[in-house]
Amino acid sequence: MAVPRLLDSLRGAATEAGGALLGRLQHVRLPGLGQSSVPEDPETAARRWRAVTVLCSPEQVGTGADLPAPLAALGDRVELRITPAPGDRGTELAARYRDRPSDDDLRALRAALRETKQLIEVGEVLRVDPAPHGVRKPTPQGAALEGATARAGGEGVL
Amino acid sequence: MRAATWTGVNEVSVETVPDPQILNDHDVILRVRRTTTCGSDLHLLGGYIPFMRAGDVLGHEFMGEVVEVGRGVRDRRVGERVVVNSFIACGNCWYCKQELYSLCDNGNPNPGITESLWGQSPGGCFGYSHAMGGWAGSHAEYVRVPYADVGAFVVPEGVSDERALFASDAVSTGWMGADLAGTKPGDVVAVWGAGGVGQMAARAAMLLGADRVYVIDRLPERLAQVREHVGAETIDYSRTDVLAELREVTGGRGPDVCIEAVGMEAHSSGIQGAYDQVKQQLRLQTDRPSAVREAILACRKGGSVFVLGVFALMVDKFPLGAMMNKGLTVRGAQVHGQRYMPRILEHMARGELTTEHLATHVLPLEEAPRGYQMFKDKTDGCVRAVFTP
Repeated sequence: MAVPRLLDSLRGAATEAGGALLGRLQHVRLPGLGQSSVPEDPETAARRWRAVTVLCSPEQVGTGADLPAPLAALGDRVELRITPAPGDRGTELAARYRDRPSDDDLRALRAALRETKQLIEVGEVLRVDPAPHGVRKPTPQGAALEGATARAGGEGVL
Repeated sequence: MRAATWTGVNEVSVETVPDPQILNDHDVILRVRRTTTCGSDLHLLGGYIPFMRAGDVLGHEFMGEVVEVGRGVRDRRVGERVVVNSFIACGNCWYCKQELYSLCDNGNPNPGITESLWGQSPGGCFGYSHAMGGWAGSHAEYVRVPYADVGAFVVPEGVSDERALFASDAVSTGWMGADLAGTKPGDVVAVWGAGGVGQMAARAAMLLGADRVYVIDRLPERLAQVREHVGAETIDYSRTDVLAELREVTGGRGPDVCIEAVGMEAHSSGIQGAYDQVKQQLRLQTDRPSAVREAILACRKGGSVFVLGVFALMVDKFPLGAMMNKGLTVRGAQVHGQRYMPRILEHMARGELTTEHLATHVLPLEEAPRGYQMFKDKTDGCVRAVFTP
C-alpha cells in the first residue's frame, strides 16, 4: 500500500509542479524565451491592467449589473476601463484589482476576461472537456502536463 | 468508438475511447469517412512538441458525414458530406474577420501555454497537443467539430472523398503559402518539400499564374508525383546544388517566391545536417531549419519567403543578414483554411486540383500504427497514409 500512495503523492507533486512551471514560464528571461524584459517589483506587476480587445462597441460590454457574468462575479474587487480600440479593432476591456491580488486572483481575472470576450463575440464559452481519449499512463510528465493544462485558461501574458 | 492515439514517443495505438459529445451550441458531431497522416504529426510523434499526453487522439486532416448538430448551428445539416479545416476558428473575432482564421482568439481553451512561449496564442487545432487546445483528433470513428458553421464545408457532388480530404489541410495550407507569399503571373516559384503540402503549394502557385515552379526534395517517388500530377519541375537536393540550379534557371536572379514546406525536422546533407541534428538532440535548438535557410539564400533580392512548415520555438544560424540586406519579405502562418476552402473545392470540382495520388496507402483505422510507421520511415513509397474509420 505504501508504494501506490508514494506514487500518487509523486504524481500529485508533478501536477502541482506543472501548473507552477506554467505560471513562471512567461517570466523566464533567456534569449528567445520568456515574455518579460526586466523584473518589475511585485506590487507593480500585480496591479497592472489586464486587457483583452473585444470586437464590439463599448456599449455592448455593459457596465454594473449588465456586465457579462464572468466579470460581474468579481464584483467590486476589480475596476474596469472600457475604451474604443483604434481602427476597426473593437473595444479594449481592461481590469485590475483594487487591492493586492494573489496569484489565484490573477488567474481568475485572466479567465474572466477571456470568457467575457468569448461570450460577447461568440455567445458561449468554448468547452474542450470531456474530450475522448485513451488510457492515460500515470507518468510524471503526463501529470505535469495535466497540471499545466488545468491552469492554462488562467495563465499567460494577459 | 475506436481511435488512434499517441501513447508515447514514436508509439501509436488503436484504443476504445468514449464517443464525443456536443458540448457547445455551435458543435457538430461528424462520422469520419477519411482522415490522413500529416507531416506535422511526426513532430508530435517524435516528442518534439512536448505537450501530448498518453491517450490523446491524433489527426487533424479529415472529412466525413454530419450525424448530430448543436442547437446554435445554422448552416450544417445531418447527412451532409463535409470537409473540415484543421484549425478551429470562431468566425467572429477580429482575426477571423480579417480572414486570419488560424489566429482566432476563441479557438484555443489553453492560451496560457502558447502565450507564455510565443507572446500570443494562435487558434486551436484538432489532435495537435494541449498547447493547441487539447482537442481530440480525427483518427477516430467520430469527431466533435466546434464552430462547425465556420470550419465545415459541404463537399460538391462528384468530388471523391480522397480528393476532398486534402482540402482540409494540405491544399489549403499550400494555397495559403502561394497566395500570401504574393505569387503573381510571371513569377518563378520554388517550393522546398514534395510532401502533400509542398505539392499543393506548387499546384496553387501554378493556378495563381506562376510562370515556372520548381519543387525540391530527395525522395524519387515524391518528385515523380510532382512531375506527373502537379506538372511542376523538380530538383533532387541529394544530387544537385539547389542554389546553383535555381540561379541558373532564373537568369541569375533567384526565385521570386520561395515556399518552405518542410518544417522542424528538415533533413540536409553535410556539415549543416550534422550540426542541426546535434544541436536539436542537445536541446540547444528546438527545430532544424535547413530548408528555411536555403530558401532565404536562394530568393531573389526583394522577393518573398513563406514558411509553411511547422516550427516550435528556436533555431540557430538563421541568415538574418541575407534576409535584411536582400530586402526579403518573410512570412509564415498556420493554415487560414476557411479563407481558401470554398475556392479550393470549386477547383476540385472542375478537376483542376487533384489529390487522390497523395493517398498512397488507404488503410483501416486499426492499421494506424503501421500507417504511421510507413509514413514516418517513408517506406513503400508512402506519401500519405489515409485511414477509413
